[in-house]
Amino acid sequence: MKTKPKMANKPLLQARDLVKDYVIGGEVVHAVNGVDLTIQAGEFVAIMGASGSGKSTFMNIAGCLDTPTTGQLLLDGVDTGLLDSDALADIRNRKIGFVFQQFNLLARTSALDNVAVPLIYRGISTGERRAKAGAALENLGLADRLSHTPAKLSGGQQQRVAIARALVTDPLMLLADEPTGALDSQTSEDIMGVFQSLNDQGITVLLVTHEAEIAQYAGRRIVFRDGKLIEDAAVADRRRKR
Amino acid sequence: MRQWIATLSTNIPVALIALRTNLMRSILTTLGVMIGVLAVILAVAIGEGAKVSVSDSINSLGSNMALVFPQPENQGGRRTTDRGRLTERDAIAIQRLVPGVSDIAPQLRNSVQIVVAGRNANTAAMGVTPGYARVSNLNTEIGRFITDADVRTAARVVILGPTVAGKLFGSFDPIGQELRINRVPMKVVGVLEAKGSSFGNDNDDVAIMPLSTARQRFASSAPQGPDDLHVLSVGFEDGVDLGVAKQRIKTVLRERNRVSPGEVDPFSVRTTEEFMKETGQVTAILQAVLVGIASISLLVGGIGIMNIMLVSVTERTREIGLRMALGAKRRDIRNQFLVEAAVLCTIGGAIGLVLAAILSRVIANLGEFPVPVGAQTSILAILFSAVIGLAFGSYPAIRASRLSPIEALRSE
Repeated sequence: MKTKPKMANKPLLQARDLVKDYVIGGEVVHAVNGVDLTIQAGEFVAIMGASGSGKSTFMNIAGCLDTPTTGQLLLDGVDTGLLDSDALADIRNRKIGFVFQQFNLLARTSALDNVAVPLIYRGISTGERRAKAGAALENLGLADRLSHTPAKLSGGQQQRVAIARALVTDPLMLLADEPTGALDSQTSEDIMGVFQSLNDQGITVLLVTHEAEIAQYAGRRIVFRDGKLIEDAAVADRRRKR
Repeated sequence: MRQWIATLSTNIPVALIALRTNLMRSILTTLGVMIGVLAVILAVAIGEGAKVSVSDSINSLGSNMALVFPQPENQGGRRTTDRGRLTERDAIAIQRLVPGVSDIAPQLRNSVQIVVAGRNANTAAMGVTPGYARVSNLNTEIGRFITDADVRTAARVVILGPTVAGKLFGSFDPIGQELRINRVPMKVVGVLEAKGSSFGNDNDDVAIMPLSTARQRFASSAPQGPDDLHVLSVGFEDGVDLGVAKQRIKTVLRERNRVSPGEVDPFSVRTTEEFMKETGQVTAILQAVLVGIASISLLVGGIGIMNIMLVSVTERTREIGLRMALGAKRRDIRNQFLVEAAVLCTIGGAIGLVLAAILSRVIANLGEFPVPVGAQTSILAILFSAVIGLAFGSYPAIRASRLSPIEALRSE
């Protein structure tokens, strides 16, 4: 894994008076209602909040899956609200790595091919894709599982494959949405350890969780309620994987 | 172009995995396109076969010739003038005055009953001259044909077509055998080579005798004059323009019949070229109808593809969302499903093609009828199935590409 120097005090993600409205049954719902937030490169931020608090909507906008109704979201200095769907897809491919609760691996597809998927959309040749995917899996301790399909892997191994897939494109930021939601506590701890060590290597991590315990692995915790940020503080008693 | 190759090289494996995942469904879907392609190829092949068979039939009549028929002027069923007779003198005049004539074959035709050793057969008797063999491309399998001497002496000799020979003699050698045609004793001197049938007519169900013999002994429905003919075949040398030749024949006969301008000709002249053209039109229409019907089944197959692709898009919404999150652009998603539909159709088309090739052999064997599946048809069929896939896959593919990544990811 490449070791990136910590780039302290360089804003990676900046939200300015961010608003996202949905129209549901003729009524306007302010899913995110005026959020100002700056996340520096190299941070490990846990995003918490009940369902409907706006944390998922914020994550979607931060992950360039969606654009704000008003306000701005700057990712690496680029205002994503001005981009079309192709440009957003390109940013997702190059700057963001997604990790999901349900792993979202392609069934009946080997770990290697799963990890190689993001590289397809970058027009990289098959040989190079396989080499990079292999290296990414090796870094996550799955060198002997390259040809296994998801059905033959444990939950923890599947999530490692998913993390390898998120990392294979050398992104600036990992977006992990409840990454331990489908795992037992021991495996959850392992996976959080993986995120911590990636963060130590300089990768920015945004982690959505509703579990306070999991949030303690992060360095900073922000809490949403009713579309607004109600808490933003450093994690006092940060946990480290033993 | 390079981008397209890259798109295909990444999407085809993805498509194959997706199709293998739902193998049974893929096979059933392919069945529609397979049957459609099979039907279209067979329709084209049968149409081609009909064309070949028809032109073979016409060639078996004699490749470069005109047929002249008398058309007497009738009124109330009674012949009112002496016109409209076709005579041996007319035949000689045509041979003398029309350039490019290689042979003339004056004919009398009659239906007769042949009896030998308790067996009998009804057949068509033809009184001809030696020229008939050349004009009609006839050869004898065994024995000989009519000679000038036979015609001069009105010899009681007969050459049998293979069908008649089989009916009367089975596997025995008929050469030299005596038989009775309408009670007249005749001797078999030859058996014709088999020519098969054309237009549902058995060309081998025939008994050939000298023109003079036919005139003297079987004149039951002979024309009125001493040298009248039922039909005159005129053979031409290679390279003769049959259209021009036909006009020359008409001119000669008009003069001999003293037909004034504006009057209806008391005879008709048909050339093999005209037969070809007319039957060619008929077979082209036949082929168009067949292909049209077969295309409907291909259309139904295509709709089946569209249906399954729509199901597939719905089932794989989450995968689409994931791919979008990982950086797939809308066109990447669209291309993935387009390639999948095209691969599905191309596989179906290829199987249909193989089945069509096998079936066409079977049909050709059963029907004694050529059913050619050519290389051109094959390539067209494969390309056409890919196009069907692209056409019917485009709506589902575009629908997939328009999904919102967030909602797609959230779907179960």
